[in-house]
Formats: sequence, structure tokens, C-alpha cells
Amino acid sequence: MSQAREEILGKLRQAYGRGPGAPVANIPPTARIVPRTTAAPETELAQLLTEIGKLSGVTRRVASMDGFRAALADLVRAEGVKRATCWTTPEMDAWGVAAALQALDVEIVPADADKYLVAACELGVTGVDAALPETGTLALTSSPDRPRVASLLPRVHLALLRPAVLRPDLHQVFAETQAAGYSVLISGPSRTADIELTLTLGVHGPKSLYVWVMEMA
Amino acid sequence: MSQVPTTIDFRRNTQAVPAQMPAAVQKATAKFLGNRAVLVEALGNEYWQTLRQAGHDIRLHAITHIEHYLEKAEAAVTRAGGQVHWARDAEEARRILLDIAARHRVKLAVKGKSMATEEIGLNHALEAAGIRVLETDLGEYIVQLKGVGPAHIVVPAFHLSKEEIAALFHEKLGVDAPAEAEKLTQIARMKLREEFLSAEMGISGGNFLVADTGTIVTVTNEGNGRMCTTVPPVHVAVVGIDKVVPDWESLTVLLKLLARSATGQKLSCYTQFISGPPRSAAETGPREMHLILLDNGRSRILKTPACRETLLCIRCGACLNICPVYNNVGGYAYGYPISGPTGVIFASQILGPKVAGALPFASTLCGACNEICPVKIPITQILLHLRRRVVEGDETEDAAAPHSLRLGAQVGAVAIGTPGLYRLGSELLKRLQAPFVRGGWMPRLPAPLNRWTMSRPFPAFAADFRQWWRDRPAAGGKRGNNEPGA
Repeated sequence: MSQAREEILGKLRQAYGRGPGAPVANIPPTARIVPRTTAAPETELAQLLTEIGKLSGVTRRVASMDGFRAALADLVRAEGVKRATCWTTPEMDAWGVAAALQALDVEIVPADADKYLVAACELGVTGVDAALPETGTLALTSSPDRPRVASLLPRVHLALLRPAVLRPDLHQVFAETQAAGYSVLISGPSRTADIELTLTLGVHGPKSLYVWVMEMA
Repeated sequence: MSQVPTTIDFRRNTQAVPAQMPAAVQKATAKFLGNRAVLVEALGNEYWQTLRQAGHDIRLHAITHIEHYLEKAEAAVTRAGGQVHWARDAEEARRILLDIAARHRVKLAVKGKSMATEEIGLNHALEAAGIRVLETDLGEYIVQLKGVGPAHIVVPAFHLSKEEIAALFHEKLGVDAPAEAEKLTQIARMKLREEFLSAEMGISGGNFLVADTGTIVTVTNEGNGRMCTTVPPVHVAVVGIDKVVPDWESLTVLLKLLARSATGQKLSCYTQFISGPPRSAAETGPREMHLILLDNGRSRILKTPACRETLLCIRCGACLNICPVYNNVGGYAYGYPISGPTGVIFASQILGPKVAGALPFASTLCGACNEICPVKIPITQILLHLRRRVVEGDETEDAAAPHSLRLGAQVGAVAIGTPGLYRLGSELLKRLQAPFVRGGWMPRLPAPLNRWTMSRPFPAFAADFRQWWRDRPAAGGKRGNNEPGA
């Protein structure tokens, strides 16, 4: 082990006047908080959509596969989408995301393609692993079929969420996501107020965030 | 960007503050404080106080067992496939980073906003080694183009007008930039997009380091932090050893406090959790991840029990926003990248009294910082200790104040502690001041006392408390109007 490591750890022990392997106190109960309690599922969902709206996200409830394809056609037209990159989870396959986009003449760019190609996509489509109504937050983990660039590089991020992923508070989200090598909490589209405190969207990440609730059976 | 100064002359720095600074600072701080107040009220003050106590207790627990949690974090990062380096000081941290850069033949590095990399003067070192380094937080990008450091830890360029930024973009980037926030932001997005994609290395800080899983947590709004840690093939995080927290339950408390206190958001736009490099070759993300754990004087801060809580800070900037001194001078007067009350207590210990002896005095001790701090750092108590350290020295540092000041303080201490001397002195003062008093005030005093009276009169010394005490009516008798009630 490095000399720097030993020296720093030594200085820290010395600062508290103890040796290696000193006992560690339990985390005091006052350092813990109780998670938020939830309302009825429909109220929770309504709150999630309201909060996302407040953060300039655009929400929509999708009730059928036909409705989904029609909404996708609207989005592709409105945002001028020519290329898209998508998660490839079983859920995305079941919704037929890539096929529906291809049917709209959108080229699908695999997330592991050259990063310049992925960055040139207008649209990134992802699922959602958990969502927090109180803050309008989406939790996304990363794995080979959940590429992290899909929610980052394209100008538009479309997140497809099942109502079942709603969680009361960060506690429950973290219980599920902390084993992942990477996760991100997304609350609204990329933003800055660095120039004269004027809120501006889309500084480095996506300029637009669409969140659709997939309620088809 | 920011270089560690030889001595910080706060007084002189305040004289160099541009005229438009206080107004720009106050516009920003009022907005942040206003947004914060709305969210705190929505949570209810009682719950907010519970959260603050929890934040304090978890941070205190973490730094009280800091070496235990650091070893745990190190093991977890290593298990996750990351590489951990320990840096005793700024020089060692820079050398570690330059070594990694050299191994990967890095020509361009992109950087997310990080106070730790400001602290170690990383940009200078990289540039000296022929590596281009780009700040990518919009505010940091702007101040880097301008060739200065951050004026605020959360919004570094808030003191520049959009016209100044447009002129700067025109001059440095050669683009015709209209003075509109939206257009300027788009120009920065386009310029930086190129750089993100071509950079060989991404550098970040870390808001927290979770010991259980070796997770580096970054809290950002723009997405540049995600870019720096996702797109380039190598990611290096420079994290102060004080950032360690035990587990993810700790984060449930601290994340609720941080964004609300910093920018008045419930959560920042992007909160990232990075535990090592991607686990599979089929997963996108950097191929290599390094964590540099930086001491640089933090272990020294822990040596003095009265100062330990300095390291609870989560760098939200709320104490800057509420501080009457900061609101009138802005960040540059402090001569250090971390400014305001938390910057004062941190920098004066990291740099030592000889360099930063002026900083503990750059405060009115009004205590607003204590009240607003989301992790309840007793900032003014620490300031008082640091003032004493400057004047008298303590177990970690020698005194740095001029001998005359120390002598004056010692004479004062003896005089105040000896009743006879005190009485004599107060009688003497009354006579000495007589020629200067005009209606209860002293409008002008001879040097060196004129440094006070140049800007405001000094109240005449009354020195009649003892007499008043002697002459007051006996107990049970009629009380004077200004005596406190029973």
C-alpha cells in the first residue's frame, strides 16, 4: 500500500488519538429520517406528472399501443427526429419502440455506435427504473441494455414509465438502485441559470424531456 | 485557474471590488434565498429542523470515524474496478492526475465544476504540462474564458452581465453572440459538445463518497457533469477525504438538504451515482475510473476539536448567500476559490494563519450563517477560535498577528482581568478622550485609530457601569426603567 495512504490514515487516527481498528460507534438514530408516506396510486401519479410539468417536462398518459404509436408520430414530427438511440430492454421490445420509430422513417443508432453518431441523434428513448412523485424525479440505472448516453446526448429525451415504478421516497429508490454500477436521478431537462440568473434549458443535456406513462395492459 | 496566494489581504481585496459587484451579488443571493425559503416553508420548519439535525449528525458521525469509512470506500471502489489514489497535498494530487493523463496521452481534458480541483490549482498544472483543460459548467466556462476564478461556489459568473459575456464570446471564441442568455447558452453548448466528444479524459469532483458501495455522487444541473463522467474514455474524480458518508441512507438526508439550500430546488436536475467503471464491455461509459482522495490539510483541521465541524460542509453556498459581508464584496475579495463564511473557516485552516490570517476577521460574527447552515456548522464559534489562533497561536499553529497586536491584546487581557487596573484604565480613558468628544461621539481620532473614524464616528467611552451598579437602588427598592423585569 502507498506511503501516502498510510500517512493520511495515520494522521487521521492521530487527530482523534486512537490506533488502527478502533471501535466505530453506531450511527445515531437522530441521523436517520422517516421516509415520506404515500397517498393512493392515482394521487401519486398525478403528483408526479404535476411536478415534472413544473420542471418544464412534458407528460402524457398512454393507454393503448395505437395511442403510443400515434403519440410517437406526433413527437417525431414536432421535434424533427431523423435518428434515435434507444434502450433495448425487454420492456422496450414489448412496446415495439424501435420498430415503431423505424416505421416513421427514423434511423435507429445503437448506443455503442461511434459517440459522434449517438450525439447526432435528435431523440433518446429510455425506460424508467423508479420515479419519485414529490420531486418529479426519474431514476435510471445503467447496464448493457440501458445505455447511459441515451438519456444524455440526444437533444430530446423520451422516458417511458410504468405506473408500477413509482416509489414513495429516496429510501426505496436507493434500496433498489444502490447495487447498480451507475444510476442517475433526473429531475426535468438540463438547465442553467448561470447567465444573469435567467433559466435556460438544454445547456449540455437534453433540451426537452418527455415523460409518458405507459398504462396499456 | 485559481492559484494559491502567498498572503490574502482581505482589506485590500475589498477595495478592488468592482462597483457593480454588490448589486449583482445581492440580486443572485436574494433569488436563491427566496427560492430556498419557499421550499423550506413547504416542508414545514419543524421537519426542516429535524432534517438539519440529521444532516449534522450523519456528517459528524462520518468525520468522527473518517479513516474507517475511507478504508471501506477504498475497498468498495477497488472491488467495483476503480483505482484509488491517496494524495497528501495539492502537489501530490496534481502529480497523480498528470501521471494518469500522460499514460493515456491526454491532449484535452474536460472538467465538471469541482472546488477540490480549484483548491489544488489543477488547471495550471495541466496547462503547464501541455494539456488543454476546459471548464464545462457554463459559469466556470465563462470565468475561465475571462481568465479569473469563480465568484460564487454555485454560480461562478453571476457578476457578469450578458453584454459582457457576449463581448467575451466574441473576443475569445470569434462568434457573433447576441446578448441573450438563451443564445449564449446555445453557443456554449455547441462549442463544448465538440470538446466533450474529443476529450480523452473527464475530470469531476464529488459531492459525496458513499463508503458502503464506493459510490461517487455528483449533483449538477446542466448535464456537463454527466458528460465529463460518461463520454471520455477515462474518468478521474478528485474528492476531499471529508466527503465520505457511511451509506445510502445518509444520502436520503443530505440530498434533501443540499439542493434546497443551494439553489432552492427540491433535487438538482441530475444527481449521479458512480460506482466504478461500467461492469461490462457492452455497457457505455468510461473504460477506466480513478478516484483521488485528497487530504491537503484536512487531517490537520481534525486535530483541533473546536474546528472539526468545518469539515461537515456540503458546499451548498447558503452561508454565502445570507452573509452580510459576502453580499457586499462578492467572492473574489476572499482570495480563495471557496468564499463566504464556509470559505473563511476552510481556507484559513488549509492555508494557515500566515497566508490567510486576515480571513477569520472578514466576518461580522452576526451568526446568520449558523442559522442557515443545513448541517448546523457552528461557523462563528470556529471563527472565534481561528481569530484567537491568529493572534495567540494554538496547538496546531503559531501566532501570525503582528507583535504589537499580540502585545495590545495581552495588555488588554491583563487590564480587564485586574479590577484595580481596569478602574484606573477607564478613568484614564475618560480623560484622554475628552478633547475628541463632540456630543457623545468622537468624529475624528489620531492615527492609527483614524482608520475607524475615516468612515464613521466612534462612540464616546462612558465607563460608568461600576458607578451605576454602586448607585443603583438596593434590592427590593424601586427599579429603573431599563432594568430587566423580575
